[in-house]
Amino acid sequence: MPTIRLNLLNCIWAIMMKDGLCEFRTRYAVSALFMFALISLASISMSIGAASLPADLTAALLWVLLFFCAMAGLSRVFVQEEESGTIIALQIYGSGQAVLFGKLLFNILMLLSLTMLIIPLFIIFLNVDIYHWPIFIVVLILGDIGIAAASTITAAVVAKTQGKNALFTVLTFPILLPQFLSSISATAKILMNVKPDISDILFMAVYNVVLMIASSIVFDYLWYD
Amino acid sequence: MKLVLLLWIMGVIYAVLYIVPPAEGLGELVRIAFFHIPVAWVSVLAFLLSAGWSIQYLRTRDIQYDWKSSAAASLGLLFCLLATISGAIFAKLTWGAYWNWDPRQTSIFILLLIYGAYLVLRSSIQEEKERARISAVYALLSFLTVPFLVFIIPRFYFSLHPEPVINSGGKLEMDTIMIYVLLAAVGACTALFWQCFSYMVHNKQKSA
Amino acid sequence: MYRDISVKLVDVSKSIGTRVLFTGINLVVNAGQCLAITGPNGSGKSTLLKIIAGLNQPTTGTIQIISNNKQFDAEERRACLGLISPEIILYADLTGRENILFFTRLRKIRCNEHQIEGYCQKVGLSIDKDQLVRTYSTGMRQRLKFALMLAMQPLLWLLDEPSSNLDADGKRLIAQMISNGLEQNAAIIIATNEPWEAEHADYKIELA
Repeated sequence: MPTIRLNLLNCIWAIMMKDGLCEFRTRYAVSALFMFALISLASISMSIGAASLPADLTAALLWVLLFFCAMAGLSRVFVQEEESGTIIALQIYGSGQAVLFGKLLFNILMLLSLTMLIIPLFIIFLNVDIYHWPIFIVVLILGDIGIAAASTITAAVVAKTQGKNALFTVLTFPILLPQFLSSISATAKILMNVKPDISDILFMAVYNVVLMIASSIVFDYLWYD
Repeated sequence: MKLVLLLWIMGVIYAVLYIVPPAEGLGELVRIAFFHIPVAWVSVLAFLLSAGWSIQYLRTRDIQYDWKSSAAASLGLLFCLLATISGAIFAKLTWGAYWNWDPRQTSIFILLLIYGAYLVLRSSIQEEKERARISAVYALLSFLTVPFLVFIIPRFYFSLHPEPVINSGGKLEMDTIMIYVLLAAVGACTALFWQCFSYMVHNKQKSA
Repeated sequence: MYRDISVKLVDVSKSIGTRVLFTGINLVVNAGQCLAITGPNGSGKSTLLKIIAGLNQPTTGTIQIISNNKQFDAEERRACLGLISPEIILYADLTGRENILFFTRLRKIRCNEHQIEGYCQKVGLSIDKDQLVRTYSTGMRQRLKFALMLAMQPLLWLLDEPSSNLDADGKRLIAQMISNGLEQNAAIIIATNEPWEAEHADYKIELA
């Protein structure tokens, strides 16, 4: 018996849980991400020794680290489906919008969990003081959502190409750049004990919304022939 | 048509080298601006055209739009490269450093990255229709981030560099004669772009 | 509620690049009828099935799925069909039960344990609840695909080499399933190399 209108939220949730379950069983991306982050942080800390870095450099390091972690692990949502061949079943039975938002949600959660693990290490290894925790958390969340949103749609773009992973970084960076720069500047202000303007936070939020809407509009062209 | 264009370009070059007076403060170096500004303008124009034709392709699935979009992007990359290099030379001659990430330089560099990413993406998909569809999507996505970049880059730069090197090149006090020559140069450059573009698309149409 | 659909192909052709797979396909399959598509390897049987399923677009022509004189839109079309194909791969890191639960949930079909066991029994698949699909044999995977399709309760069955990887027992089960499906007024299209699978079809077309 065919159903006419799929329950979108239900489908989004199902897709996110499925990705979560597969990831939990294989730990394919999560371990790579975490090890990458740990090694990068440790090597930076080892190289600078006891010296303390200026606030803007520290802020830049944090977001560069998160960016490259994302590049290491977030393309999995579409690339692995394509490589293992499961994408066809998903194309037949799953609607485009549900797939996009389900996988977007999964990437957001993965990046947020990774950030929660990295921030304590970041504070310890690089000896930083966070003066405004609530705003810092807001900046982290908005920045992570931005990285996840850009990564998810770009992952869909590269899924059917050759040379996927190298291409993934090249394609994501220009799209992510506005969010990247504003996250760095907001974090730098926080580390210098200055509260970022509300306009900075608003900019990041608007970017996320616009990117998600654009992804939604454009995704059907990628998903369906 | 081509003869007219050739004469026009030669006329502009003559005007830039001999007619335009040296600018206050910059002196003879201002002549580089007459090359730099037109090519930068064309590289932005090519990006706009490429994105516009991408939308048209997605709406109509007419492969001609994809040819136009990719021809515009290839030429746009070339002009963007010329703009970046000429800008760096101008910077070196005026302020002693090739690159200092001021807002204008950063913007042209990002445009270069977007062009590069778009063309690399195209070269990694073999099938024609799939390539057209996927690269059109990417052209649109990168186009949408441009307004954000325009907003954030100056703020980012000025927040990190409190005493910026004022780009006086952008605030040229222009004599009337300079404005006319500049407009002529921009026109010549655009016409040159259009000529190369039509040639590329025509070739593609013939071989298809 | 939709029952009794019919599938109509009008002048469908498909070319990939310069290679023409097939042209001028015109056919109608009504509820309770079975169409067999035969032809040598590489003749485009799988591609034709994928086009009917909506995974690929035809180069020319239209595919209509009609019920009660009303044509289905793309979403309704996807909701009414089930596809079995060697190209379909189920999630190896989930159990068979979890695969069925996941895909039926995408279709907003509620499936409880009891029903899943019922479907698995019908296809002769005895599965351990906690066994990942990674550990299944190819025959078991094929049976799981059938169990999944039954759980979707599709009105249009698209079967691409349905009895591949199955033993004699499995082949018998499939033949039985197909006649049951026809009795329940499903429309069935089979693409096959095996003559016996095409034997009981109402219509046959052969791709060159």
